[in-house]
Amino acid sequence: MKEKKTKRRLWRGLATTTTSVLALSLSASMIIDTFRTDIDKFLGTQSTQMVTENQSEDDYAFHSDYSSTTELLDAIEDLGERMNEEGSVLLKNENNALPLSEEETQKVTLLGFSSYYPVQGGDFGSTLSVNTGTDADTVDFVQALTAKGYALNPTVSDLYDTLKDEYQSDLISMWGTSEPVNRITAPSIDGTFKSAELSTDTMDATDSTWRDSMNDYNVMIVTLARAAGENKNYMPGEAGVDSEQNLNQADPLGLSDTERAIINAAVEAKASNGGKVIVILNNASAMEIEEIKDNTGVDAILQVGLPGGYGFYGVADVLSGAANPSGHLPDTYAVDNSASPAAQNYGNFAWTNADSAYSINSELVEAESIYTGYKYYETRYADVVMGQGNASDSVGSSTGGAWSYDDEVSYPFGYGLSYTTFEQTLDSLSVNLAERTVTAEVTVTNTGDVAGKDVVQLYVSVPYTDYDRENLVEKAGIQLLDYEKTDELQPGESVTITIEADAQDMTSWDSTASNEAGTTGNYILDAGNYYFTVGNGSHEAMNNVLAAQGYAEADGMTDAGNAANVQTWTLDAMDTTSFAYTENGTAVENQLQDMDLNYYMPGTVTYLTRNDWSGTWPQTYSDLTATDEMIQIMQNDTYEITAQGDPDSITWGADNGLTLAELKGADFDDEQWDSLMDQMNLEDAMIRTGFGGTSTKAIESISSPEVIQNDGPNGINSYTLGQYANTDENSADPYKVSADDPNLNYKFGTMCNETVIASTFSKEMAAEYGAVIGNYSIWSNLTIFWGAGTNLHRTPYNARNHEYYSEDAVLTAYQAASYIAAGKEYGVIIAPKHYAFNDTEINRSGIATFMTEQKARENELRGVQASIEDAQALGVMTTFNRIGCYAGNAHYGLLINILRNEWGFKGLMSEDFIQDANYSVLKEAVHCGVTMTCNTGDSTMEAVSAKWPYWTVDSVSQDATMMQDLKNVMKWQYYAIANSNAMDGLNETSRIVEVRTWYDNALTGVQIVFAVLTIAAIAMYIRSLKKEK
Amino acid sequence: MKNKSLGFYITIITAILAVVGVIFYLINCNTDYFGNLGVNAGVVACMVIAIVLELVYGFGYKASAKIFDLIPLVCGALMMVAFVLFISVRVNGIASILTFENNAQTMADLTSAVVGMVFCFLAVIFNIIGSFFKVGKDEA
Repeated sequence: MKEKKTKRRLWRGLATTTTSVLALSLSASMIIDTFRTDIDKFLGTQSTQMVTENQSEDDYAFHSDYSSTTELLDAIEDLGERMNEEGSVLLKNENNALPLSEEETQKVTLLGFSSYYPVQGGDFGSTLSVNTGTDADTVDFVQALTAKGYALNPTVSDLYDTLKDEYQSDLISMWGTSEPVNRITAPSIDGTFKSAELSTDTMDATDSTWRDSMNDYNVMIVTLARAAGENKNYMPGEAGVDSEQNLNQADPLGLSDTERAIINAAVEAKASNGGKVIVILNNASAMEIEEIKDNTGVDAILQVGLPGGYGFYGVADVLSGAANPSGHLPDTYAVDNSASPAAQNYGNFAWTNADSAYSINSELVEAESIYTGYKYYETRYADVVMGQGNASDSVGSSTGGAWSYDDEVSYPFGYGLSYTTFEQTLDSLSVNLAERTVTAEVTVTNTGDVAGKDVVQLYVSVPYTDYDRENLVEKAGIQLLDYEKTDELQPGESVTITIEADAQDMTSWDSTASNEAGTTGNYILDAGNYYFTVGNGSHEAMNNVLAAQGYAEADGMTDAGNAANVQTWTLDAMDTTSFAYTENGTAVENQLQDMDLNYYMPGTVTYLTRNDWSGTWPQTYSDLTATDEMIQIMQNDTYEITAQGDPDSITWGADNGLTLAELKGADFDDEQWDSLMDQMNLEDAMIRTGFGGTSTKAIESISSPEVIQNDGPNGINSYTLGQYANTDENSADPYKVSADDPNLNYKFGTMCNETVIASTFSKEMAAEYGAVIGNYSIWSNLTIFWGAGTNLHRTPYNARNHEYYSEDAVLTAYQAASYIAAGKEYGVIIAPKHYAFNDTEINRSGIATFMTEQKARENELRGVQASIEDAQALGVMTTFNRIGCYAGNAHYGLLINILRNEWGFKGLMSEDFIQDANYSVLKEAVHCGVTMTCNTGDSTMEAVSAKWPYWTVDSVSQDATMMQDLKNVMKWQYYAIANSNAMDGLNETSRIVEVRTWYDNALTGVQIVFAVLTIAAIAMYIRSLKKEK
Repeated sequence: MKNKSLGFYITIITAILAVVGVIFYLINCNTDYFGNLGVNAGVVACMVIAIVLELVYGFGYKASAKIFDLIPLVCGALMMVAFVLFISVRVNGIASILTFENNAQTMADLTSAVVGMVFCFLAVIFNIIGSFFKVGKDEA
C-alpha cells in the first residue's frame, strides 16, 4: 500500500509539473504575439510576407552603385578611412613635426593606454560594431598603424599589455551590472569620471627599461581619450571627478596627473633622444588642453574624434603625410569649460515639487540665451575690444581677473592646420533678399609646398542696434553663414569658390516684432552694416571684422586681423518682411513663448545679454517650484478625446481597391492618397500609431509592407547585413545575396562619430556617407534609420555629443542636410533626431527645458531646418525631454506649426524609446503629428487600449478632430514609406500573407506534448488511486 | 502539526513565497516607473486564489479526500499564469531601464519587479516540488 501511495504522489507531482509547464506554454502564446516583432528580429524570422505576382526588376526603383557585398563593404571601409583623413584636426604642429618621415614611422612609441584601447564609438548608442571574418574587418589604432607599415616600440607595447588589468574602466552592461573594460568609459548620469591612465611609477616598477627603449623609438605618440555614450554624462568641474583619486583634476574633461605624467615622460625622453612628442586627442567632447598647447615639449596635437572601425587608417595616413589634414574644429576648445554661461545651468536641478508618477523630475533653464560655443566667446571678445557691455568684468573669467579671450579659449571653432599653407581672398559678395541668398566668391591659393584641401568658412557679423537692446534681441559678434571645401590644390594652384548661402541664416528672431500673421514674432534684419569675411576659424573671422571696423591690437585685439578680407553690405532700414514667410509661404509667428520660464513664472529668469555681460550673467536656477499651471501641463493630459465635429465625415474601411505600391513615388497632393487612406480601418490607424516601435508593421487594408527601423548614427547598427537581406535565389531582386555570402554577419556600426564628419567641413563627405548608407539600406533591406544627430553641443559636458555634429547650427544643418539628401537618392529614410533640445542626458525622460524663442530658433532649430526644407527628409525622431512644460511629443507649436507648417515636413515621425504610457502621450502625440510611438505590442485594439485606456474605438470614433489627426499622420507615414526603398519589389498585386514561423510551430508542439503528458499523468494518477482501492 | 510531513512544510513555504511575490508585485505597481501600468486584477486574483488553496492543501489535507490532490495542479497553473502576466507588461519597461533610462531611481523600481518575479517563480517551483511529497503522515 505504501508503494502505491508513493506512486500516487509521483503522478500527482508529475501532473503538477506538466500542468505548470502547459500553463506556461499557453501563456507564452500571448507573450509571443505581444513581442512578435522583436522576436522575429532576434531570430531572423518573418511572421508576415509580401506576396507579389509577376515580379520583375522594374519593381525595384532604387539602385545600388555596387554589384556585390564586397564592393559595398569596400566602399564603407574606404569612406571610413577618408573621413578621418579629412576630419582629423591638426591643432598644433611646431617646427613641422608632422608629417613623419618614412624613417620616423619605423620608430614609433605609443604611450597612454588609449593608444592601445582607444574609444572608437559611444558606450551605448553608436557603439562600434567589431567585425571579423568579413571583407571589411574593423581595426584599432595599433592594427591600423601596423597595416600602414609603422613599426612600434615592442618594449612599451608589451608593458601596456602586461599591465592591462591596471587600466580598466567600468562599463555599465545591458543588465545594469558593471563590467571592466580596458578603454576609458564615460560616467553614468550620477557618476563621476575616473582617470584610468597608468601611473609612471607603476610602469617603472614593472619594466624599468621602458623609458630607455624610447631612445630607439623616439617618435612618441601619446593618446588621451574621453569616452562618450547615450545616457552618460560629465558633470562640470571637480564635482564631475572621482574625489578619491586625488589626481589634481579640476574637470572631467581636463587632465589628470597621471595623464600629465605620461606626457611629461615623453617630453623628458625627447630631451635626451631628440625625438618628437605628438598628442592624439581621442574624444568627442572638447577637452581642456591649454596646458598641452602651452607645453613646448609637445610638438603636435591631432584631434581625431571617435574614429569608428576604419578611421585610424586615416589617422595613420595623416601622421605619415600620405594624407594632408584638412579638418577644422566643430567646437570651441575652451580653457575652462565650466566657466561658460551655458555651464552655469548644466546639471540635475530637481523641481521642489517633482512627481515621478508623471515624469516630472527636473528643469534646465538655458539662461545663456543664444550665447553658446563661439557665439559666446567671440561676441564677448568683440565687446571687450569695443569696450561695451561690461565685457571685461571678471564674471565668467576662468582666472578670476578681467575677462580676456586668450585666457578663455585654447582653440577656436573652425580652426585647423594643414601641412601646407593657403591664402583666401573674399573677392566679392552680394546679398539678394528677394532670392534669400548671400553670394560670395572666394579665391583660395595653395601657397605652400604640398598638395592639400582647404575650407572656405564664410562668416557674417550683423549689427547690434539700440532696437535690439530695447527689445532684447541678441546678436552674435560673428556667426558662420556657410562653408565649402576645395578639391585638392597643388602647390601654387588657385581656385575660386562660389558660396551661395541662405540669407535666413543671418536673420534674428525677434519675439516682439509684428508679422504678416498679424501677431508677434518675426525674423528680422536690422538696419546697419553687415560685415562678411572668411577665416581659419571664428576668431580669425572676428578679428577681420574688428579690423574692418577700425579696431587694432592697441584696443585689445589678439591679432591685427585682415580688414582687406571683409566685404560690407548695408541695409538702410530694418527688414521685417523678407523672411516673414517661410519657403513654402507660411507666415511665421511666435510658437515657443511657453519655452521661456518667465511665461509661467514672470520675472524669474534673467537672460544673458551682450548689453550687460556682468549684470545678466546667468545665475544657476535650482530648487524651483513648478506652478499649478505648469504641473497640470506636465501631468501629460493636454488633449481631451471628446465627441466633437462630424465623425461621419471621416471615412474608414472603404473598398477602393488600391495598394500602397500603386502610389510609389506619388506626389503628396495626389488625390489617390485620400482614396488609399480611406481604405484603412480606424483600428489599423489606432494600433499603428500606438505600437510603432522597432519596425513599422504591415497593414493589410493598404498592403503596406513591414519596414524595419534602425538606430545609429555611426551606421545602420541594429541588425547584420544579412538579417533582412534577400537570399531568395528565385527573386527578381537585383540585390539578392547568396546564403553563404561571407559578409552577411557584417554589422555597420563602424563609421566615425558625427564630430569627425562635422570636422571635415565637407558637405561632399557628408553626402558620401548618405550614399553609402543608402547603398547599404538597399542591400540589407533596412529602410528607416534614426541616423542624423542634429542636437547642438550646448556644452561639452553632454556625453552624447558624439552623436551630434557641432556647437554651431549652420555646420550641423548643412552636414545633416547633405547626408540626408544623398541617402534619399537610394530610398533610405534618414531621420534627424532628437527634435528638439535634447541638451543633456540627465533626467532626459521628463526634464523640462526652458529657453527663449530666439535661442530655440537661431540655434537648435536652425540646425534642423535645412534637413526638412532643403533635403526634404522623410523621417524625424522626437525627443525624450520636455519642450518647456510639454512632453516632447505634445508641443503643437514645435511639432505642427514649425516642423510641418513652416518647414513643410511630410514624413513619418517617431517618438524616442519612451515606454511609459503616461509620458509617451499617445493622443497628444497623434494630435501633434507624431505618426508612431516606440512601443510594441500585439496588433489588437485590446492590447493598445490596455496600454492607453483612453485609446478605444468607442471614444476616438466620436472625435472628428482626432480621427482627422489619425488620417493625417497615417498619410504622412505612408507617403514616406511609398517614397522609400521599402517598396522595392512590390507592385499592384502585392498582398500580405501571414506566415507561421518555426517558433510558432515549436510552441504549438510544446503545448500539445504537455497537454498529452498532463492528461497521461492525471490518468496514471487515477489509475494509481484505483489500485489503492 | 505532529501529523504533518515534508510536503506540508514545502506547501507553507510555497504559500509564503507566493505572498512575498504578490506583495512585491503590489509594491512594484506603486513605484514611479511601473505605477502607470496599474494593478492587474488577474495577477492578484490568481496569486490570492493560489495562496488560499495552498493553505487549504497544507492545513486541510485529508488523504481520503482525493480532491485535495488536484490543488497543486490548479495552484501551479494559477501561479504560472500570474507570473507570465506579471512579466509580460514589464518587458518593454525593463528593456528601457536597462538601456535608455538607466538611473538610480529606475533601477530601484526595477528591483522590486525582479524580486517579485523571482518569488513568484520560486513559488511555482516549490509548488511542484511539494506536490511530490506527502503532506500528512496519514498519507503514507
